[in-house]
Amino acid sequence: MQILAETNLFDFDLVIKQIPDLLKYLPVTLELAALAMCIGIVLGLLLAVIRLKKIPVLRQIAAFYISIIRGTPAIVQLYIAYFGIPMFLKYMNLNHGTNFDISAFPGFACAVFAMGFNESAYNAETIRAALGSVDRGQIEAASAIGMTYPQMLRRIILPEAMTVALPGLGNSFIGLIKGTSLAFTCAVVEMTAQGKIMGGRTYRYFEVYVSLAIIYWAVTIIVEQLLKFLERRLELPEQIDKAATSEAERQEEKEAENYKYDSDTKFEKKLSEQYST
Amino acid sequence: MIAIRNLKKSFRNNTVLDGIDLDINKGDVVGIIGPSGTGKSTLLRCIDRLETPEEGEITIDGKTIPLSKHDRKQTLELRRQTGMVFQRFNLFERKTALENVMEGLVTVQKKSKQEAKELAMQELERVGMSAWSEHYPKHLSGGQQQRVAIARALAMKPQLLLLDEPTSALDPELVGEVLETIRSIANEGFTMLLVSHEMSFVRNVANRVIFLDNGKIVEDGTPEEVFEHPKSQRAKDFFAKMYLMKQPEYTI
Repeated sequence: MQILAETNLFDFDLVIKQIPDLLKYLPVTLELAALAMCIGIVLGLLLAVIRLKKIPVLRQIAAFYISIIRGTPAIVQLYIAYFGIPMFLKYMNLNHGTNFDISAFPGFACAVFAMGFNESAYNAETIRAALGSVDRGQIEAASAIGMTYPQMLRRIILPEAMTVALPGLGNSFIGLIKGTSLAFTCAVVEMTAQGKIMGGRTYRYFEVYVSLAIIYWAVTIIVEQLLKFLERRLELPEQIDKAATSEAERQEEKEAENYKYDSDTKFEKKLSEQYST
Repeated sequence: MIAIRNLKKSFRNNTVLDGIDLDINKGDVVGIIGPSGTGKSTLLRCIDRLETPEEGEITIDGKTIPLSKHDRKQTLELRRQTGMVFQRFNLFERKTALENVMEGLVTVQKKSKQEAKELAMQELERVGMSAWSEHYPKHLSGGQQQRVAIARALAMKPQLLLLDEPTSALDPELVGEVLETIRSIANEGFTMLLVSHEMSFVRNVANRVIFLDNGKIVEDGTPEEVFEHPKSQRAKDFFAKMYLMKQPEYTI
C-alpha cells in the first residue's frame, strides 16, 4: 500500500469517495431493470402459454422469435432498437401520415424495450418449464368443476408455477441489473455510463470500475435477500397452529365412531363359497 | 334422466369403449366394475370430457351434447353439471380445504365470497371435515383429502357425480371413512356413477351394477343379479378369481 500511495498507482480513497456520485444514477439502473423485467415477464408468460397450449401459427412465431432473440447478442439488439425504432417511426410518418416526434423519442425507452424483449425470450423458457411442472391432476380437477383456461391459469396454475419459476426469474433479474450497463449504447446515462464519464474526467478508470463493482455487488446481495424472503413467503405453512389442530383431532375422534365401515363379511363368504366350487 | 349413447373411444388401435349405451335414472347409484383396462375410468373421463371420445353423445337435463366435438361452451356446460372425484384426490395444493371447496363456487358460479364460504362450510360439515377447513392438503391424510375432494364436487350441486376409484389410492385403514362418506351422500339422493374395486361396498351402496369388459357392458342389473347370478362367463371368471384370492390358504 505504501508503494501504491507514493506512486499514486491506486487511489483507494477515490474508490470510496466517488461511490455517492455513482449512486445518484442507481435509480436509473434500477428503473431500467424493473421496467425491462415487467415486459420480460408479461411477454415471457404469453410466449410460454402459446408454446404450452400449442396454439397454431402463433406457436411458430413464438419459436422463431425466441430463436432470434437468444441467437443475437444483447448489445446488437440494443443498437437495433436504438436505430430501428426511430426509423420505424419515420416510416410511419412518411407513409401513414402519423406525426411522431422522432427526436423526442427517448433512448431510455429504446433500452427498456430492447432489454425487455431480450429478457422475455429467456423468461419464456423458465415460465414454460414452471407451468409444465404443475401437477396435471389439479388442472383436471379445475376443468372438472367447469373453470375456463384463463381462470385456471390465474387461480390454480400460476400461483403454483410461481414458486417453481421464482429462482429462475430471480436469477435472470440479477443478470438484467448488470445487463443495464449496456444501456449506454442507447445514450442512457445509468450507473456504468456515469462511471465512464467520471473516469474520463480524472483518467482514474480503474478506481471507477472498482467502485462500480462494489455497488453492483451490494445491489445483487440485496436482491438475493429479497428473493429469499419472497420464496419463504410463498411457502405453505409447515404447521397449522396447534390449537386448531387439536380441536380438529378431538372432533375427528368423536366422529371416528361413525366412520367405522365394516365390510360385509357374510356376503363375501357366501360369494367365495359359490365361486370356489 | 341422463342418457349416454354410442360412446366410442380408442387409444391408437386399442378400443377402450366400444359403443356404450347407458341410461341413468335420477337418484340412481350405478356401480361400475370389471377387470382393469376395460375402460371403467375412461368411461367416466369421457362423460366429463377429460378425454375426447371418437363418437358419442350425452343427454343431461334435457339437453343433448355431442361428446366427440370440441365446443368450448358445451364442454363447460357439461362439466358444470357433472362433478368428478378422482382416484388421487387432486386437491388444489396451494389452497386450504375451505378454499378448495369455495373455488368453483366463486370462479364458476360467481357467488359472493361470503355466500361461497357458508356453502363450502356446509359441504365440509357434510363430509365431516369442517374442523379441518384451514388446513392445506399436505396437512391432511389421504382419506381426509378425499373427503374434501368429495365436498368440492358436491358444492357445485352436480346433476351427476362421477367417482373414479375413490378409495384405490388410500391406505386400507382410511378406506372406511371415505366409503362411509360416499354411502351417506348416496342416501341423500345424489345420482352417482361409481367405479370401484370394493365389491362388497358396491353391492351395498349401488342399486344398479354394470360389469364392463373389453369396452362393452356385459352385465347390467341389480347387485344381486350381477354378483350372485351373472349371466356371462367373463363375469363368472372375474368373481371366481377375485374370491379365490380372498379364501384362506388352507382349511382344516
